[in-house]
Amino acid sequence: MLPPVSAIVLLALMGLPILWLAVAALDTTGAGGLAAAMLPTALRETATLMAWVGLITGILGLVSAWLVTHFEFPGRRIFEWALVLPLAIPTYLAAYTYVEFLDFTGPIQQALRAIIGGQTIKDYWFPQIKSPTGAAFVLSMVLYPYVYASCRAFFVMQSGSISAAARTLGAGGFRAFFSVTLPLSRPALVVGITLAMMEVVNDLGAVQYFGVNSLTAVIYSTWINRSNFGGAAQLAVMIVLIIGLLILLEQWARRDRVYALHRDSRVAPPREQLVGAERALAIGFCTILLLLGFGIPVGELLVLALRNLGPDALGLTLTAGLTTVTLAALGAFITVCVGLIAARLARSRSAHGLVRIATLGYAIPGTVLALGLLQPLGQADLWFNRLTMAVAHWRPGLILSGSIAALLYVYAIRFLAVSHSTIDAAMKKRGDTMLDAGRVLGVTGWRLLLRVDLPTLSPALLTAATLVFVEIVKELPATLLLRPLGVETLATVVYARANVSLFTEAALPALTIVLVGLVPVILSTRFSDRR
Amino acid sequence: MTMTMRLSAALLGAAMIAGTAGPSFAQSGEVNIYSYREPGLIQPLLDKFSAATGVKATVLYAGDGLLERVAAEGELSPVDVVLTVDIGNLVGAKTQGLTQPITTAALAERLSPEFRDAEGHWAALSLRARVFYVSKDRVDATALTYEDIAKPEWKGRLCTRPGDHAYNIGLVANRIAAWGEDKTRTWLTAVRDNMSAPPAGNDRAQVKAILEGSCDLAIANTYYMGLMLTNDAEPEQKDWAASARIVYPDAEGEGTQVNAAGAFIAKHAPNLENANKLVEFLLSDEAQQLYADANYEYPAVTSVKPAELTQSWGALNPSKVSLTATADFRDEAAALIDELKFNEGAQAQ
Repeated sequence: MLPPVSAIVLLALMGLPILWLAVAALDTTGAGGLAAAMLPTALRETATLMAWVGLITGILGLVSAWLVTHFEFPGRRIFEWALVLPLAIPTYLAAYTYVEFLDFTGPIQQALRAIIGGQTIKDYWFPQIKSPTGAAFVLSMVLYPYVYASCRAFFVMQSGSISAAARTLGAGGFRAFFSVTLPLSRPALVVGITLAMMEVVNDLGAVQYFGVNSLTAVIYSTWINRSNFGGAAQLAVMIVLIIGLLILLEQWARRDRVYALHRDSRVAPPREQLVGAERALAIGFCTILLLLGFGIPVGELLVLALRNLGPDALGLTLTAGLTTVTLAALGAFITVCVGLIAARLARSRSAHGLVRIATLGYAIPGTVLALGLLQPLGQADLWFNRLTMAVAHWRPGLILSGSIAALLYVYAIRFLAVSHSTIDAAMKKRGDTMLDAGRVLGVTGWRLLLRVDLPTLSPALLTAATLVFVEIVKELPATLLLRPLGVETLATVVYARANVSLFTEAALPALTIVLVGLVPVILSTRFSDRR
Repeated sequence: MTMTMRLSAALLGAAMIAGTAGPSFAQSGEVNIYSYREPGLIQPLLDKFSAATGVKATVLYAGDGLLERVAAEGELSPVDVVLTVDIGNLVGAKTQGLTQPITTAALAERLSPEFRDAEGHWAALSLRARVFYVSKDRVDATALTYEDIAKPEWKGRLCTRPGDHAYNIGLVANRIAAWGEDKTRTWLTAVRDNMSAPPAGNDRAQVKAILEGSCDLAIANTYYMGLMLTNDAEPEQKDWAASARIVYPDAEGEGTQVNAAGAFIAKHAPNLENANKLVEFLLSDEAQQLYADANYEYPAVTSVKPAELTQSWGALNPSKVSLTATADFRDEAAALIDELKFNEGAQAQ
């Protein structure tokens, strides 16, 4: 068994940014009051956005999962996997594309004006997309798959006899949905909604674009525009508290429940054949949802990319793409290594709790992590350089901050949960017999990790690496603040162009991000097909 | 315990390998730049500089956070020259101790005193006027003062980017310097309540809102007019710009607020000589003309004329309040904007 000291080291490394911010937040000297002025606004706008996204994703995700698992209709098998596709679209890309699409100069309003002959937006009614309501709509369209996936998994595992019993008792269709399905699926619903809400809290690019004063946006501007690090740290600690609440909520929803009926693996839940209007309704609902969450953003990107296809766009995409792939590959490797160590540590009862806290970085917005890392990394570099200067009269310069190391570090913190949970699940599935055999043969500690874990877990390690790779490709806020001199990733290129109203130039890099994001979606459907 | 040590050693090793992939240090013949300015403007300037001097220029472009980064990197920072927008950033960098005096003689020769730090810690490179874009169709006025847009007749007709953006903080700071805090509070409250919607988007998006018809008067910087009118990459922006014309606020009175974009040399610049060479180049006629012609800004070197297109919008009468006086009220301005909840838009009365 590994010593718990490793678990403490792991926790210290992964928790460093939050710890740093907590200390910085105590500094109320200077312009600390500024944070207080923005806090009520930020809290209210964040809560409103979370509530709307929670409600919309909850309804859309639950209904779509219910349709594809309880009923049979043409296209159902395709919808079943395609409905998760919007997960490949980062929230900031959804924001940029939807504004291009629905804005005054977009195709919809142009067509509207052509038909009714209006000149300005005051001649007809059209919702303003760049608004908090617009943000709630657009974010929900790409975040509902969290609810869909968690509810679908729940329904598939559920015993078919429950809905059969409901139907025997005369409660068919919609009545069965409200009296049986909805109450039963509450845990899965809460888990999905919590994940969607965490993405809302994490988002920076979309809320800035829509002019929503969310906590993350205000942290950013408090630090950058008001030059108030202490105030930003205070707001960041507030975010960590909110995320903590969400995690508690999720844990509560996941708490062990006892069901009288368990799924009989020999009998798949029967699906009711839909006919007539009901069938059309089911097909229509799933089609529109898929169109809104995936069709429109990707279609818009395709149109813009083709319009601007040339050596410039290709060169930009290739250069940034190469950098992104290198960073993501290195980041995935390191994060999976740390995840493997963490999963190994978590097997020991004493270290289990520490490891769980260490993986919480997934819930912390990238902006907050970057904020908490910049100063300690700079300090560490300074101390290290003073040491080498004293010992060897040599200065290596910046090692941690402003180098790829800072990025790899922040990726490891942010995505440890992704690699850890994948590896942990595989370890549990594999069981401990092989480890026992190894121990009997005298292999312990790190050698056990290398000689037994590595070979037996390689499929899970590959999956974990793929998931982390894609997350890094999509990552924006932390990369933006910590990247080294001259380094542009696909995400930072897109952000920079969109900020100066040159989104067309960024369409091809943006499309590339989405294509990469499709990889785990396709992989996960492959795995579920095999099962 | 030994495992922990081995782990730390491995992490350190990995970090050092990664470190070597980062910027290399203090070699002659290079200069490192952190730039808030977009690559489209800066890259042609640097290409010319490299061609003329043989010095290799490496840029990190970021819209935000570069000063914070220079501060965090401290004495080990690889950066030589920081190119920023907003006078507040330039003055703030000096206050935070991130700068050192520019030693090239060109500084005093080329720039009049109001456009450079008295001790040489920063240099303005271009000037940007923050003006009113008004709808060609729906606004007749040809002269407007700052007080005018606070009047009830503009209710539901104004738009601008979020108040906590440096450009708007600069505008409010300029008003505080001119009027004092009380009058500015009354004015800003009225302006807020005249907004057509809560502020969102950048300066160009406000001009687009004029075309859209949701806004009649946008507060934005002049050079965007030129950038949009000549935008062949996104030709639709030509339509945005064509829907509006520029009115210089208070042109016949106290003058229009002007902000500066500029440069400073980092306190721990590893390539000091090249850093000074770069500043000297940026103050040359050739570079200043590029600021004027490629980005439609007003050259900080006043002997270089603005682009003809820029001149066609009218004559600029810069505010009597100096750049540094404006910068002094930056914190007060930011606090006032927050206090009035400017970013929430018009408030019900």
